[in-house]
Amino acid sequence: MNVVSLAARNVLRNRTRTILTVLGVAVAIVAFVLLRTVVTAWNVAVDYAAKDRVATRHKVSFVMTLPKRYIDTIRGVRGVRAATWANWFGARDPRNPDSFFANFAVDHRSYLDVFDEMQVPPADVAAWKADRRGAIVGDVLARSLGVRKGDRLTLEGTIFPGNWEFNIRGIYTATRRSVDRSQLIFHWDYLNESLPESRRDQIGWTVARIDDPSRAAEISRAIDRTFDSQDVQTLSMSERQLNNSFMAMFDTLLDALDIISIIILAILLLLLGNTIAMGVRERTNEYGVLRALGFLPRHVVTFIVGEAVVLGLIAGVAGIGLSYPVVEYGLGRFLEENMGGFFPYFRIEPTTTVAAMGLAVFLGVVASLVPAFRASRLTVTDALRRLD
Amino acid sequence: MSAEPIVKLSAVNKTYFRGSESIPVLDGLDFEVPDGAFQALMGPSGSGKSTLLHLIAGLDRPTKGSVQVAGKELSKMSDAELAAFRANHIGFIFQSYNLLPVLTAQENVELPLLLTKLGRGERKTRAQTALRVVGLEERMGHYPRQLSGGQEQRVAIARAIVNDPQILVADEPTGDLDRKSADDVLELLGRLNTELKKTIVMVTHDPAAAERATVTRHLNKGALQ
Repeated sequence: MNVVSLAARNVLRNRTRTILTVLGVAVAIVAFVLLRTVVTAWNVAVDYAAKDRVATRHKVSFVMTLPKRYIDTIRGVRGVRAATWANWFGARDPRNPDSFFANFAVDHRSYLDVFDEMQVPPADVAAWKADRRGAIVGDVLARSLGVRKGDRLTLEGTIFPGNWEFNIRGIYTATRRSVDRSQLIFHWDYLNESLPESRRDQIGWTVARIDDPSRAAEISRAIDRTFDSQDVQTLSMSERQLNNSFMAMFDTLLDALDIISIIILAILLLLLGNTIAMGVRERTNEYGVLRALGFLPRHVVTFIVGEAVVLGLIAGVAGIGLSYPVVEYGLGRFLEENMGGFFPYFRIEPTTTVAAMGLAVFLGVVASLVPAFRASRLTVTDALRRLD
Repeated sequence: MSAEPIVKLSAVNKTYFRGSESIPVLDGLDFEVPDGAFQALMGPSGSGKSTLLHLIAGLDRPTKGSVQVAGKELSKMSDAELAAFRANHIGFIFQSYNLLPVLTAQENVELPLLLTKLGRGERKTRAQTALRVVGLEERMGHYPRQLSGGQEQRVAIARAIVNDPQILVADEPTGDLDRKSADDVLELLGRLNTELKKTIVMVTHDPAAAERATVTRHLNKGALQ
């Protein structure tokens, strides 16, 4: 037995109150972890964006297309190693029309060279390239669509009306967290040849792989300069910049999540503070006894703060223990499968775990300081008189 | 019994203040307890006996006057010095035992020894010895809720003697006990006085308890009678 273990034992003195407090704090921690994971998952696409890729789109808007011939020009720009293109297709599964997933018509010859983090067995790539109606889907999307390699899939076009038939030729996985594993890609030729003559040979955007990531800005400017005098001008930027500009649209939302996180921490502080203050009030007489035996005010502070630390630790462990199944296996899976474009990797970061644990303990200490200080300031006779 | 007083209060005043109101409790009190005595303090509520006990025990300081206990002048000591004095020289016995419910009997007895430099093994041995003295060696692993009132008070007495203090101060030690348990506790206090030569100052309302003391002093309105 020592001063610290004595403090720890006091935590379980009023079990019902301690359990309720631990549960309350644990729920607050789950909410905190969830919100922080939204923020980190949101930024993961930026953090893990390839540094050696430059995207080029219409200067006016994403939704406006570029002439296909631009790809040849871009491939000729100095510093560009390879380039590919894609079009947003915007089809949906007629069996589940409310379920969104990204689907692109891509250049099957070059797309996987530029996006080499999409892992597909070479035999499947070859089968896909050989099949005009071939498609490759991410493993997460394959699960939610219930398709396997060799299956036939019909999608309903929204931008390009009609039923579109695809043969699933491969399932891709990813080597990088930022990759959305809920995408479907298919031959751009299949789309292009199905369009009326007047709409053919238009591409949504290009992505170029460059030799030197440090020259991304310079190469972007070089690409845009090339098309300055053309009818259709371009806007090029690194993949990281592109993701950043996309994320910037949601800055306010992320700020709101930060504010809610702070509110949750305040609730956590009040919960812990209330429990600790009640415990201290009930045990004032005991602190008087300890002081009578020769313990000093600093020992009383140690008892109270130590108890708060133990309470914070238990609540922190319980909260994090609850967070993992809720976030990683419940909501996280759901978001990855249904909102993979926004949350390709919705998992709890170790830094979030450490922060939640640290905050639970830190807030426990903060919440205990005032009651501890007050209890330590009482004279021995006043403390003894509380119940005696 | 030595003739030299172990407790000597000279011209002691104690006044409490409640806002602007002053409440005098002791007024020019002179009081002595010879070394090895067993003194009972009696008096009506508000007569100042608990205040006197607190001054002797170093829990409080006088407003005026001198309090010498075990050769130390307590009125000039700082809070930390008083705490060290209490830890080394005083054993406390309270009316309602005041054991910590989360600790076993042995751990409760060990509590004052946490302030010493003794190792865990030595602390345990001393706590067991003190429990043996009060006849509760068999109950050392029991929590207070598993003990009777009389047994709890005997554990509290073991806690009071574990660091071998010179003086035991007891504030209504039998106030919460039935007659049989009260007699056992008083018997024990008598043995501690005669066999272990502990000086005991006991506040009590119980004449039967006071009879066990060698001397009974009566206090009324802050003055000895």
